[in-house]
Amino acid sequence: MALDAVFRDQWGRVLATLVGILGDVELAEDAAAEAFAIAAERWPRDGEPANPTGWLVTTARNRAIDQLRRQQVLADKTKLLARDIETGHPCLTEAEADMDDGPTIRDERLELIFTCCHPALAVDAQVALTLRTLGGLSTDEIALAFLVPFETMSKRLTRAKHKIRNAGIPFVVPPDHQLPDRLAAVLTVVYLIFNEGWGGGRVDLAAEAIHVGRALADLMPDEPEVLALLALMLMHDARKAARVRDGQVVPLDDQDRTRWDTGRIDDGRELLRRAVARGRTGPYLVQAAIADLHLQQPRDWHQIAALYQTLAAQTGSPIVEMNRAIAVAEIDGPEAGLAILDRLDLDHYRYFHSTRAELLRRAGRDGDAHQAYRRALDLAQTEPEQRFLADRLADTTP
Amino acid sequence: MQYALLAYTSTEATDRATRPITDTLASRLDGPNVTGWARLHADESATTLRNDGGRTLLTDGPFIDSKEYLAGVILIEAENLDGALAIAEEMLQETRPGAAIEVRPILEGRFPGDRHGA
Repeated sequence: MALDAVFRDQWGRVLATLVGILGDVELAEDAAAEAFAIAAERWPRDGEPANPTGWLVTTARNRAIDQLRRQQVLADKTKLLARDIETGHPCLTEAEADMDDGPTIRDERLELIFTCCHPALAVDAQVALTLRTLGGLSTDEIALAFLVPFETMSKRLTRAKHKIRNAGIPFVVPPDHQLPDRLAAVLTVVYLIFNEGWGGGRVDLAAEAIHVGRALADLMPDEPEVLALLALMLMHDARKAARVRDGQVVPLDDQDRTRWDTGRIDDGRELLRRAVARGRTGPYLVQAAIADLHLQQPRDWHQIAALYQTLAAQTGSPIVEMNRAIAVAEIDGPEAGLAILDRLDLDHYRYFHSTRAELLRRAGRDGDAHQAYRRALDLAQTEPEQRFLADRLADTTP
Repeated sequence: MQYALLAYTSTEATDRATRPITDTLASRLDGPNVTGWARLHADESATTLRNDGGRTLLTDGPFIDSKEYLAGVILIEAENLDGALAIAEEMLQETRPGAAIEVRPILEGRFPGDRHGA
């Protein structure tokens, strides 16, 4: 089911509350889909209720109870449900939901995202489930985004929802001693979604990741890494319009800066400032700070190199070292950068070869550069990248 | 909820039948959240019965031949998967490198009242 923008914003909240009430993601999702379908039919005709979230939750809850009643086998579950409704969760009748002063429904999207990104689920299932539940994307859209057949994605989602139910994955925000690890897992999923969208597929996954990132930042305003991740995504995304010209990737220095989204950059910087003020330096904070430095002209390569060094120490990632090599090459010349690259085991990584080729070209080693561009072109995955590399390949003599 | 912890160990750990259960593990197995446990002989002692279209086929050895074999089953009670994973992790600390514990929710079952009378 496709949701328009208004519904998209409600979906995650309504679904989260329903999972809290019903204790089952699949049941909650079916009920929410039904409620949204009813709303799509009635609201344009009768007007939007005063408390749309309350209306949707109540309608969906009632549908779920109807469905449970129809299935006599689930009699016990209905009893449980009745008890939950009496004790924990404030719910309204549809009429009450139409009134302004209905009780506020607690936002349980955090519980939902921690459930979806539980480490007992495979990462690809975490990603799909997060897009489905928090993002409100349809199974079709998620399948399209990850280039897998609909049936594969549908199975992946169903399996994950069943595992949550049968294995007893809790619907809670993890306690303090688990929170750092579990939050890191959530942020990984969000950033994975963002990076998947960076290539520019048919589904705007970058926008979805930012959408989920914003929800997280609203819900956890004191977590520097949450703010920093959103800042990082916004500052990357701000350059989207300038990143490709005539179907070819444009390097940062050649980008038309007037096409950068200054609103997004300002939002990102404000978030970064808030994250820095919390006084803890996590990997997303460092990456956001680097993204910010890259947006400034002229670029402060000494600071950038120092931050990459910090990030490399935090993450142990050879890709971070590769980026440090680029900064070092700007300061001490291409050979200094190449010396760092030579120590890295990144032969499978396409940007490693394009980076190396660029430094070799600048060092005047055209033959080596040509070979490296050839290797990068073999590994390139998107057409704009392929065009860029093909041009560079033609410019260097073998 | 009830969970079964399936403990796997390397077939190369030949001394395992004679190796005593450590004191720490023993006290954990006596803990309130453990409802039953069984330590199994190594997989070369296994006999597998297979339903082959109504006929029973007997084979010498475990059903799944692998480098790790099922060495024990521990039945536990936990509030949810996070609780079960925490208990499993405590148990895992008492195993040797390479060992693994699979956590499975129990669909249904009956466990003897005499909880520790192995």
